[in-house]
Amino acid sequence: MAELVGAFAASHAPLIARDWERLSPGAKRTIAGAFDEMGRRLAALAPDVLVMLSPDHWVNFFLDNLPSFCVGVGPEHDGPPEPFVARVFPHRTLPGHAAFARHLVDTAFARGFDPAISYRARLDHGFCIPLWRMGIEPLPAIVPIFVNELEAPMPGVARCFDWGRLIAAAVESYPEDLRVAIVGSGGLSHSIGEPTMGDIDEPFDHACIALFTRAGEAEIAATLEDWLPRTGNGGHEVRSWVIAHAAMGGKGFALIDYVPVPEVYVGCGFAEWKGAA
Amino acid sequence: MTDYWLSKLFYDLLTPAMTARWREDRGAVLDDYPLSPAMRRAVLEDDIAAMAPRVNAYLLRFYCGICGMKDDEFIARLRAMKPEAAATHG
Repeated sequence: MAELVGAFAASHAPLIARDWERLSPGAKRTIAGAFDEMGRRLAALAPDVLVMLSPDHWVNFFLDNLPSFCVGVGPEHDGPPEPFVARVFPHRTLPGHAAFARHLVDTAFARGFDPAISYRARLDHGFCIPLWRMGIEPLPAIVPIFVNELEAPMPGVARCFDWGRLIAAAVESYPEDLRVAIVGSGGLSHSIGEPTMGDIDEPFDHACIALFTRAGEAEIAATLEDWLPRTGNGGHEVRSWVIAHAAMGGKGFALIDYVPVPEVYVGCGFAEWKGAA
Repeated sequence: MTDYWLSKLFYDLLTPAMTARWREDRGAVLDDYPLSPAMRRAVLEDDIAAMAPRVNAYLLRFYCGICGMKDDEFIARLRAMKPEAAATHG
């Protein structure tokens, strides 16, 4: 039987890769330290499969075909198309896990979900910056789930809770031995291409952390639905955190670090959901 | 309201070949996209305030990067926009 061994979430600011050598020592130390700790904890869980949740930043999808959710079901995915990520992240391809991914999709359809699928997805900085900075080598098999967190209309927060539970159910019902971990990539607050670009909404970030620490599903959903339209557009990526949170039964949230880093325009958050084991 | 062809232009420019063509002859590239005269003018004049309400904010950022605009200038131009000009695309 497969087992959900843990979940994590992390920011993926592209400037972490693009400007890494130019970041101040303090910013580098903070970001590197948090990702190192995440990588250490993830490696200790020895996952066979990493289910990764991230938006697609106009790499695989465009306005003529824009799924709310898309699961990468291929045996292999392509590495980052962005030159500034490819420069630091050595993998041109990443292993997939076709059997588990297909089981996840079959479970989804059996439960009233209709995700798109991709037999060969390109994994942009949203996926590859956390993998690069965590330094997990060799890479476990990656099952990417693209969540539309970039262009309205986006899936509701309540639906993201449903997706978290769906992932957990798919793991639980997978018949083979498999250690599965989740990484939700994105957030916390940031604003890109808007008049507030560069602003970090620390009250929003602290509210998210407090919600995952102590609140129930209804309060998290209501608070985020109210707040997301009023914070920077990057805040929508907290949906990746919500899905990870729900997959872990809404329990076990433990903040690894939170630091607003103006140099990368992002309130950088790093977290783990500790499993029952 | 989203301008599909403006968005498509910015999206297509993400490929290196299109980027190179753009840097060589903007007008020739624009001829392939049925933009309104006003939007074509906005692109040629780097009028961010005119483009922002019609395109995803991330695509706008990518586009300005392709055009060689540094973040400091991009942010300054965004902040100079009137509130109603801001993108509402999430």
